[in-house]
Amino acid sequence: MDFAYTPKQESLREEVRQFIADNITPEMREEMEESGIRRRGPQVDALYKKISENGWIGISWPEEYGGQDGSRIDQYIVEEEFARIGITVGGAGSGAPAILAAGTEEQKKYFLPGLINGEIIFALGFTEPQAGADLAGLQCRAVRDGDEWVINGQKMYTTAAHYGTHIYLMARTDPDAPKHRGITIFLVPMETEGITVRPLWTIQNEPTAPLGTTYGDRRTNEVFFENVRIPASYMLGEENMGWYVGAMGLNLDRVGASRYLLSVKRDEDIVNWVKENDLDGYSISEDPAVRDRLAELWIEAQVCRLMTMRSMSLVEHGGSFTYEGSAEKVWSPEHGVRTTETIAQILGPYAQLLNGSEDAIEDGVFAHNLMGAFQSGINHGSTQVMRDQVARRGLGMPRG
Amino acid sequence: MDVIPNEEEQMVKNLAREFLEAECPPSLARNMEKDDLGYPPELWKKMADLGWLGMALPEEYGGQGLSPTYLGLIMEEIGRSIAPVPALSTVVPAGTIAQHGTEQQRTNTLPKVSQGNLVLTWAIQEADPRLLPENIHLAATSESDNYILTGTKMFVDNFVCADQVLVAARTAPESDLNKGISLFLVDTNSAGISSTSLTTLAKDKQSKVYFDQVQVPAINLIGDLNQGWEIAREMLDLATALICAQMVGATRKDAEMAIEYAKNRVAFGRPIGSFQSIQHLCADMIVWVDGGQLLTYEALWRMDQSLPASIEVSQAKAFCNDKCVATCRTSQTIHGGMGFMMEFDLHLWYRRVTAWSMRLGTSFEHRSRIARGLLDQPGRVRLGVSIPALQ
Repeated sequence: MDFAYTPKQESLREEVRQFIADNITPEMREEMEESGIRRRGPQVDALYKKISENGWIGISWPEEYGGQDGSRIDQYIVEEEFARIGITVGGAGSGAPAILAAGTEEQKKYFLPGLINGEIIFALGFTEPQAGADLAGLQCRAVRDGDEWVINGQKMYTTAAHYGTHIYLMARTDPDAPKHRGITIFLVPMETEGITVRPLWTIQNEPTAPLGTTYGDRRTNEVFFENVRIPASYMLGEENMGWYVGAMGLNLDRVGASRYLLSVKRDEDIVNWVKENDLDGYSISEDPAVRDRLAELWIEAQVCRLMTMRSMSLVEHGGSFTYEGSAEKVWSPEHGVRTTETIAQILGPYAQLLNGSEDAIEDGVFAHNLMGAFQSGINHGSTQVMRDQVARRGLGMPRG
Repeated sequence: MDVIPNEEEQMVKNLAREFLEAECPPSLARNMEKDDLGYPPELWKKMADLGWLGMALPEEYGGQGLSPTYLGLIMEEIGRSIAPVPALSTVVPAGTIAQHGTEQQRTNTLPKVSQGNLVLTWAIQEADPRLLPENIHLAATSESDNYILTGTKMFVDNFVCADQVLVAARTAPESDLNKGISLFLVDTNSAGISSTSLTTLAKDKQSKVYFDQVQVPAINLIGDLNQGWEIAREMLDLATALICAQMVGATRKDAEMAIEYAKNRVAFGRPIGSFQSIQHLCADMIVWVDGGQLLTYEALWRMDQSLPASIEVSQAKAFCNDKCVATCRTSQTIHGGMGFMMEFDLHLWYRRVTAWSMRLGTSFEHRSRIARGLLDQPGRVRLGVSIPALQ
C-alpha cells in the first residue's frame, strides 16, 4: 500500500494550481456563472483549449487516440484541482470509457481526440420519464431500416443537451427480448434532424448558485426524438448489448474527483469559515457541540477521499470493480448531505441566505447547497440503487 | 498512490487467515472466557513460531523488522478469528521498548517476546479513563536505586497472564518543561502489587491493579525521567491503530455472517437476503467496514513512513468505534432471535467489538483531538493534506 502521491504527481498538482491562479479571471467566472452551465462562452472555450493543450484531458487514454497512456491518478489530480473551482474536466463522463471498451477503431479515432480538445461534448441520454432508477425499462425506440436506424421517443434530465454536440443514447432495439438484452447505444449528433431540446429549470434557477456549489445545474432538458434517422455506423458496441456497454461506463463514471469534491468541499469551507469568523463575538469554533460534529464530518470526508482513492487504485490495477464505485456513491453523497444539513444548524438563519442577499455567508454557498447536495445522491444512480448494487454485485445477494 | 494491499501484504494476511481458521475456531474464544489465564499457551507459542510476536521488532532481537502495517494485517486477522491471545497488549509495549529502551532492557525483553516466552501489558488509565497526562496520579518517588510506586491503575488488559507491565507514573507535577510522567517496566509479581479482575462485556481479561509501595529498580525506567508522556502517547497511537485493525477484522467477519445468514434464512417463502430492506442493511455494513479499514490502513501506513499519524489514528478509531459497533448491531438485527442465543456464535464477535470500542479512547476523545487539530491552529485546512495534532 502507498497512500502518497509521487513527487511527479505532486508537481503536476502544483502546475495545475498555478495554471488556475494565472488563468481564471473574475470575468471568466462571471461568464461561467451567467451561462449557468459548466462551459461555453468565448472565454471558457479558450480556457478549455489551453487545458487540453497542456495535455490535461484524457491523460489515461491511449496515445493513439490523443491520450498519454498515463495514470488515472494523474487525471484525477487534474480533475480535483479544477473541480475545486467548479470546472469539470477530463472525465468526459461515461461516454469515453464505453467508447474505449466497445467502440470501433473509427469511433475511437473520431470521438476521443474530439473529447480531449473540447470539440465534442456528450449529453447523457439514458433517463426517460418512465425510466430512472429502472433504467432498463427505457422505451425510446430505435428501429433498423436498411443501413439506418430510426429513433422515436423521449429522454429526460439530459443536462448537457443544449450545449452538447452529441447525445450518448440508450434506446430499445428489441422490445421482445428480456429488458436488459434489448438495448443498444448510439452516438447521435445533436444537430440531426428530428431532435428537439426543451429546457427544464431546476430549483437552483434563481438566484444563480456560485460556481462549484452543487452537483445539479440550473438547467437541464428533455429531448424529443421524432423519426430521427442515423447511419448504422453510429451504433456503439453490438446490437442489443447496450445495457452492458453503458453499465460499464457508468461504473467508471461514478468514480471521480468532481463527485468526491462536491461532497467534501463544504467540509473545508465550514471549518475554514468558523476558524476565521465569529458571529458578533460568538466564536463558533469554540462551541464544544459544534467541534465534535465538525470532527465527525471531517472523518467522514476522509472516507470519501479514501473510497475515491480505492476506485482509482483499482482502475490503475486494470481490474474491474464489482461494487467499490457503488459503495463510494452510497457514502459520498450522503456525507455531503449530512455536512450541508449540519452547517445549516451551525450557522442558523445565516445559512438560509442565498447568493446576492445582504449578509449571505460565502456567496450563499451553504444555502444553495441545501438545494443541490441531495441531488448527487440521485443522479447517475440513486443511493438506493447503489445499495442494491453493492448487495447484489458485491455481496452476491439474491434478487427478489 | 495505491490503497490496495500489495502482493506481499496480501500474502501475509492470507497465511494468517489460513492458520487461524485451522487453529482458532470460535469455540476457543468461548472456552477462554472461562479460563483463568484467558489464552491458550500452545496457540501463543505457535504464533511466536510464525514470527507474529516479533513481526515489528528488530531482527537482532529475534524479530522480523517489518513495519506497523504488517502488524496491523496480523491484528486484523486475529480480530477476524477473535483469537483469545494477549497479542495487542504484548506487541505494543515491546515496540516501545525496542524504540525507547536501553540496550539492556531490549536484550532482556525482546527476544523473549519474539519467542513467545514473555507476555506484556501496559497500565496507563486510572479512575478518570480519558487518556490525558493530567489523569495520571499513580506516584513514583525515587529512593536510592529504586522508584517506589503507589496508586491504582484501571482497565489493565491481560494483567492476570502478563509477566511485565509498562506503567505510566507521575514523577513530577506538570510543568512548562514536561508532563511529569515517567514509564516503568514492572514485574507483575513484584511485592506490593495486587489486583482484582474486572468482568467485561467481552469476558476477556482486564484488571484493576493496586500498587502499594512497589519497589521498581531505577534501571527499569523506559526513556527519560518526566519525559514519558510523549512515549506513552506514541505507544497509545500504535495500540489504537492496531485495535482498529482488530475491530475491522472482527467486524467484517461479523457482517459476512449476517450476509450468509440472510442468503439462507427463508421467510415469506423466500430468502430474507432477497428483500431490499435486508440488502440495504448489508450494503451499509460493508460500506462502513470498508471505510474503517481504509482509515486504519492509512494511519498504519503513515507510521510505516514515520510521518505524524495521530490525527489519522484518531480518525480511524472514532469511525471504527461508531461504525463497527453499528455493523455488528445490524448483524444482530438481521439474525433476529437467533443472534441472541448463547449457543449461537455471533455474540462472541458483537461483545468483543463493542468492548473494544470503549478502549484506547472513546469517539468523543478522538474527535476532540481531531477538533483541536482542525480548529485550534492557524491556517486553512484542505482535504487530503494531513493536519498536525495539537497534544
